[in-house]
Amino acid sequence: MNVTLTVNGEIRSASVPPETTLLVFLREHLLLTGAKTGCDIGDCGACTVIVDGKAVNACLMLAAQADGRAVTTIEGLATREGLHPLQKVFEETGALQCGFCGPGVILTSKALLDENPDPTTEEIRTALAGNLCRCTGYVKMIDGIHEAAKMMQSATPALPAPEQR
Amino acid sequence: MAEDLDVLDKTRIAPVDSLRRADEDLRLPVVARPSTLPLEPPLVPQVGEQTHAVGLRAQRPDSRDHGLGLTRYIDDIALPGMLYARIKRAGVASARIKSIDISAAEAMPGVMAVLLGREIPTNLFGTSIVDQPLLADPIVRQAGDGVAAVAAVTEQIAQAACDAIKVEYEPLPGVYDAIEALKPESHKVHGGDTNVYAKKVIRQGDVERGFAESYRIYEDEYYTPGIEHAPMEPFTSIADWDSNGRLTVYASIGRITLARVDLSKTLHVPISRIRVIGTIVGGNFGGKNEIRHEPVLALLAKKAGRPVKGRFTRVEEFVASTIRHAFFMKYKTGVSKDGKILARQIRMILDGGAYCSFSETTLGKACILSTGPYHVPNSFIEGYVVYTNKTTAGSMRGFGAPQVCFAYESQMDDIARDLKIDPLELRMKNFFRDGSMTATGQVLHSVKVIESMQNAVKKFGWETQS
Repeated sequence: MNVTLTVNGEIRSASVPPETTLLVFLREHLLLTGAKTGCDIGDCGACTVIVDGKAVNACLMLAAQADGRAVTTIEGLATREGLHPLQKVFEETGALQCGFCGPGVILTSKALLDENPDPTTEEIRTALAGNLCRCTGYVKMIDGIHEAAKMMQSATPALPAPEQR
Repeated sequence: MAEDLDVLDKTRIAPVDSLRRADEDLRLPVVARPSTLPLEPPLVPQVGEQTHAVGLRAQRPDSRDHGLGLTRYIDDIALPGMLYARIKRAGVASARIKSIDISAAEAMPGVMAVLLGREIPTNLFGTSIVDQPLLADPIVRQAGDGVAAVAAVTEQIAQAACDAIKVEYEPLPGVYDAIEALKPESHKVHGGDTNVYAKKVIRQGDVERGFAESYRIYEDEYYTPGIEHAPMEPFTSIADWDSNGRLTVYASIGRITLARVDLSKTLHVPISRIRVIGTIVGGNFGGKNEIRHEPVLALLAKKAGRPVKGRFTRVEEFVASTIRHAFFMKYKTGVSKDGKILARQIRMILDGGAYCSFSETTLGKACILSTGPYHVPNSFIEGYVVYTNKTTAGSMRGFGAPQVCFAYESQMDDIARDLKIDPLELRMKNFFRDGSMTATGQVLHSVKVIESMQNAVKKFGWETQS
């Protein structure tokens, strides 16, 4: 069957078997391997992507269910001007160790911050409930999300200008 | 001269301009370079001096890629023509395979190869005791034992083919408790007359005399359960042969040379013909230290003539990998009236599961560390690992150290409560000092445990809490 959706602002289309999950669609048909296969049953959150503004487990959604919708993957977060504040903060605070859960955690946090620009720690913890991490723990991630929220709210441009050469 | 310069400038401008355009075409964000550690003063500390790296903020060099989703883990790698493998798990903990019928699986369209244990040149591997089959043949000793493997063009077909394989089992008695496994009448997992496969005894001084001189003696039992590492990234590997008979295995494995040795031994291929490419590991914690299914994938790839990728499901992670050893520990400790440890006798039974894996290392380290960071003049430590029909226990962070730590620190708290001594003071009294001797007779130098504890106490506010 044919599936057409907007991925990171671009219209993408592929003909896939009907049982193809959104995760397999992104990873194997569009070669966007940032979303990871951790458990394939919706427990770990490593496959999290944003569909129409909501963070979802791509392994539990069929590609056909995403037909006509807008999907943001980790590959679509950074722009050529710079990293997304979450990516920058996670890198600086050491919130990523093996990094396998990272794309999912960052996208869950982005969906949260888009909806709630100033979340409390409790709200962050609730949002991250579906994302497992086995290396770092969650403290640095929660601190990082608070920091990113501050960065995104402040009016001054938070990102350094590109290095001039 | 001036004309020459003019020409040179022109040729230099053009490529820079095109490079800049090329850079903009790339989607990589332009960002500041990651911060680096200052080199002055030198970070290598002098004797007795703290390293200057402490307190500095350092960034992981790989975290930029992690955050961008650009890190290429093993599952993000695909080779042209690659097949997908699935291993059929026994699902019974103790049985003899009477027959396996793979005809239905082989007949399925899309199935390119099916492998049984008897086709593997040496169907055994292990890091110390070589006792673990890659595919059970004919005895199944744990529910996660593989009995057959399939390579097919998609994961779904491989799974369907596994489901189509019919295995007939003759049930065998089993043993599912480490204490039970010690009894003479228990089922012997690997035959023979005992389930104990490794033992360690450490003796120092005279515990009996120590207990006789003690003011109080505490006898307690402790148990810690098995734990799965559960790394976020499941075991995944790709096996690929070239036409000269050289094997390349891509795997998220921590010990590349050990993997090459095990591949060489099981496949009867010289080690010089085996290349293992360790990919970025998505969480190891000790669980990715040895081979799991790599020789099976290699043989499937050889049969099918195409590269084969195998990825554990989350269930396989729990039943077919290794876990942390469950520990049964008996601690008997004699102390003087003022809280000094005079003697400690420890007996521990480790539940090794179905196969040895890193059990001997774990047992050794647990025994060596079992008296804790305390000066114990008289000690007697004995440890045993036993086979049971449960998931194999292997290496996991600390190799047995966290289990014994739970036991000796729990007992220290109990002793402090009973003697009405502050638990911190009790530990301070007994801590190793410069020149202290450990249970194995090692004389220690540069011992900082007291200072570390004092610092920690200040940092987490022990005084205000108690």
